[in-house]
Amino acid sequence: MAAEISDRVREIAEARELPESEVFERALERGLEDLWEDLVLARYIDGELDREEAVERVGRTKVERVERERDLVEEDVDWGLNA
Amino acid sequence: MTLAAVSDAGPLIHLAEIDSIELLSAFDSLLIPETVYEEIERGGLPDGIADLSYERVEAEGTEVEFEELDAGERAAIAVAREREVVLLTDDLAARESASADGIEVHGSIGVIALGYGRGLLDRDEAASRMRALQRETSLFVTEAVVERGIRMLDKQ
Repeated sequence: MAAEISDRVREIAEARELPESEVFERALERGLEDLWEDLVLARYIDGELDREEAVERVGRTKVERVERERDLVEEDVDWGLNA
Repeated sequence: MTLAAVSDAGPLIHLAEIDSIELLSAFDSLLIPETVYEEIERGGLPDGIADLSYERVEAEGTEVEFEELDAGERAAIAVAREREVVLLTDDLAARESASADGIEVHGSIGVIALGYGRGLLDRDEAASRMRALQRETSLFVTEAVVERGIRMLDKQ
């Protein structure tokens, strides 16, 4: 895995004509953004964050998407347990 | 109560990816449209499907009103409608189209819950497979939503 990461960083750096340090910085920003969104959505789903705040932090599309997922998973589990 | 279902490619692939395709044996009858079978065959038949009891069926007609869906999804909807069986799909658009058409639809998470409900899995194994579905397959579902589903298992 470590070797694969190094290879990818090198390839991206060459293709984009960037220093490898810049590739790492962008990867960290992008990864952090995903982790942040996961945390906000988890707090919203768990009732620790209200809808307006969640929308403000990650956008309406992501909140609506997670609401659809929540409804379908609840519907599925309820059905599976009672079918 | 007899439980019959027709599956499109999604649940067959996703459940196979987490070594759980055998959970489809919780259905008394499982139908796979020819179009879906050919679709998964092109990508290599999933492990475990040979040990599964299922019937390959021809869809009587693909539904013109679902043009945005792929051929396998349309065939599975057609079979579900014609035979009045549960449709198994993990595709959000297919699920919403079929639901709006009055078809009962569930996905891979529902199949795992069904396995637990029917005693094929204990609670921890069901939870572990739900997490694997989220982490190890191409099925897109938010981690927090899966954890909420797992907590529902505890309320049974």
